[in-house]
Amino acid sequence: MMLRLSIQLCSCMRWDQQIVPGGAVRLVIREDKHTAARYIADYIIERIKSFAPGPGKPFVLGLPTGSSPEGVYKNLVAAHKKGEISFRDVVTFNMDEYVGIPREHPESYHSFMYQNFFSHVDVDPANINILNGNAEDLEEECIAYEEKIKRAGGIELFLGGIGPDGHIAFNEPGSSLRSRTRVKTLAYDTIIANSRFFGNDLSKVPKMALTVGVETVMDAREVVVIITGPHKALALQKCIEGGVNHMWTLSSLQWHPHAMIVVDEDATLELQVKTVKVSLCSQASPTAFAHLAQYFKSIEQVASSQGFGQALASEEFVLRKRDSVLEKLDSPKIPTAKTFLAPTKPGLSGQITPDLIPDSMHERVEGQPAKGLGLDGLETKELPLSGMHHRVDSAAA
Amino acid sequence: MPMAVSPERVRTGITRLTGGRLVKGNQLVEQDLWISSVSGKILRSQQVFYEHQVVPDEVVDLQGKILAPGFIDVQFNGAFGFDFSAVPEDMTEYQKGLKRLNRYLVRTGVTSYLPTLPSQRAGVYHKTLPYLGPSGGARNPLEGSESLGAHCEGPFISPSKNGIHSVEVLQEAPNGFSDMKACYGSESFPEDGKGPISMITAAPEVAGIRECIPEATRRGIRFAIGHTEATYEQAGEAIEQGATMITHLFNAMRPLHHRNPGIFGVLGKADGKERPYYGVISDGIHLHPTTVKIAWAAHPDGFILVTDAMKTVGLPDGVYDGMHGDRWVKKGPLLTREGSNTIAGSSATLIECVSNFWTWSHASIPEVIRAVTATPARMLGLEKIKGKLDPDADADLLVLEAQQDADGKRTLKVDQVWKFGTLVHDASDEQFGL
Repeated sequence: MMLRLSIQLCSCMRWDQQIVPGGAVRLVIREDKHTAARYIADYIIERIKSFAPGPGKPFVLGLPTGSSPEGVYKNLVAAHKKGEISFRDVVTFNMDEYVGIPREHPESYHSFMYQNFFSHVDVDPANINILNGNAEDLEEECIAYEEKIKRAGGIELFLGGIGPDGHIAFNEPGSSLRSRTRVKTLAYDTIIANSRFFGNDLSKVPKMALTVGVETVMDAREVVVIITGPHKALALQKCIEGGVNHMWTLSSLQWHPHAMIVVDEDATLELQVKTVKVSLCSQASPTAFAHLAQYFKSIEQVASSQGFGQALASEEFVLRKRDSVLEKLDSPKIPTAKTFLAPTKPGLSGQITPDLIPDSMHERVEGQPAKGLGLDGLETKELPLSGMHHRVDSAAA
Repeated sequence: MPMAVSPERVRTGITRLTGGRLVKGNQLVEQDLWISSVSGKILRSQQVFYEHQVVPDEVVDLQGKILAPGFIDVQFNGAFGFDFSAVPEDMTEYQKGLKRLNRYLVRTGVTSYLPTLPSQRAGVYHKTLPYLGPSGGARNPLEGSESLGAHCEGPFISPSKNGIHSVEVLQEAPNGFSDMKACYGSESFPEDGKGPISMITAAPEVAGIRECIPEATRRGIRFAIGHTEATYEQAGEAIEQGATMITHLFNAMRPLHHRNPGIFGVLGKADGKERPYYGVISDGIHLHPTTVKIAWAAHPDGFILVTDAMKTVGLPDGVYDGMHGDRWVKKGPLLTREGSNTIAGSSATLIECVSNFWTWSHASIPEVIRAVTATPARMLGLEKIKGKLDPDADADLLVLEAQQDADGKRTLKVDQVWKFGTLVHDASDEQFGL
């Protein structure tokens, strides 16, 4: 038993690393689906506000449909009605839409978005993009959609939900993780599951949909996913504890530099750390890790208290930062004065004997390209010592 | 109260009413309603939003109040000193009075009505009916309340159930429909079927009337049974002939007897199609509260609240000239013939009747409001354009405030009235409106 536990604790350590902001997937656990939705709504509002969108600088938001995101929309609408947030300069792109049902059909995603979000806020209808499932040429519609995203400057934040089989948008199991916006045939299970919305008549259920691809989502600068309910626990487990796998398309999130998954307690049921929690609770010392989810929460609390709470800075900020990093790398190296010493006097820098820097001789040779841009380890090495015969072409013969 | 959200955008004439509780079916639904002052209709907002990408000029926050369709009164003889049956020397006076009445009436929440003429001599019909036909054709909100066509209550009624109708003017129709034509004027029955009359109340046992029923309904006129000695059987026959309505149930007809259930009995028929609509005056004088409650419970789908209001509505208490040289005494909602206890119609407004019914019955708010909106609209065959908050219906709307006193008295108060998509009355601003 102890052995098993230690293994599971190891896997928990792995999570420990992943949760560090600025790393890969942040996992945020909330008590229930309401608080999870609330958290995401607050997060989106903060992101839009700090982005400070304006007429020439829209915030581009990717949006899902479904029962889990519904709560997020409720909170966004409530905040808008309180005057806390405006969507005037927000451009939206929706994930998917059925093919062949009228736009005004109560089950269309146009209707969902209208009823749950658009009709209650001040978003400009001209800024709304939803795939047209009744387009004459569906493929053209998909290509144009990708282009529109590109022209809007790419998606700043893509909000998503997942299906019980771990699919994001209509990228059902087996979809390419490199997929782009396209026509997709729905899985039979999905059609059956949907039939309840179409009078239990399979013939009325749409068999196709237009959907953004996995890569379309992954191209967003930030991806936030809400997963609530016990029926999605396995999907969550597969997507974050398993490897990246096209059978659980959301697992591609593991590759995303800025991804966040917000879940409720129910959705964590299948997580290994949770099984640790259960086994530990049945051990002699039930209080040791009585609530491991609490553990994640505490990490997250620490993270936010350290200013890592909002992981992604605005693009402008990052670009500026990147420019300044490049500038630094491009400029000749001058040892920086430590703050606790007297400041370096201008004009005297050349006279001060630089500190000894343990760097390679070749870096100081003029005309060499600057090192940097994450190329450490790739710099040219001295030719390895090797026997003369290795360099003779015919040696192998 | 209305606030501009987008002053720099091109004006669209669209208003979004938000934060209200909409009367839809038997429920109060928290939903937005988009209306157009250009078409005067309720919009399919989702389609407008996605297809035309327009946004409302104004967003009005209703702050949790009730948003109901405009009320319809199908039995309304006059108000604010104007009587549809009183013919002046100069008919331009009549037209002016009518216009003035419409503007006053709309403020009470009645956005459309049937101007009702109690039994008169033929000359009165010939003179007045040309002015009383449907008046909403121009869809001008500034005209106020809208006539949906005249209601001719008599003169083909029973002399023994005349109420305050003058016995001298009552008629029979031995020659069938041609007698009706002669009485109401043949111009009132044009070939194209779009005449000024929308409803006729008559007693089916009066000679020749039974034969008139199919003739009237064939011309799109609703036939109501009223002021009648008809038995249960006779009423059933009239309904078979095409009658679809009972005028002020219980009043001016035989009461329910356990061996002869009378007209009220037809509400107990099993087949829904045989059960007529019926008007009920819940002014607290014409009927006992329990009677109103029983009437509603008998057949809620047919239950219509009416005022039977006289010109004294909206006037101070006092003695007024009535019809045919009578004098009427108005005391609050009570209106009697001077020197008697005969009820001479009502002085209550429709919103008062609605509040009474709500207090007495404890029906839900949507059920109460249905009795003055969707049900009368359906009775008149106007269910697609009046009495509902569905897309493509006319944007005749009321914003209502619901209150309940400590002693159980429930009141609905008219806060705002919208006619054809335009705000025409706002209780919070006396200066505003028509």
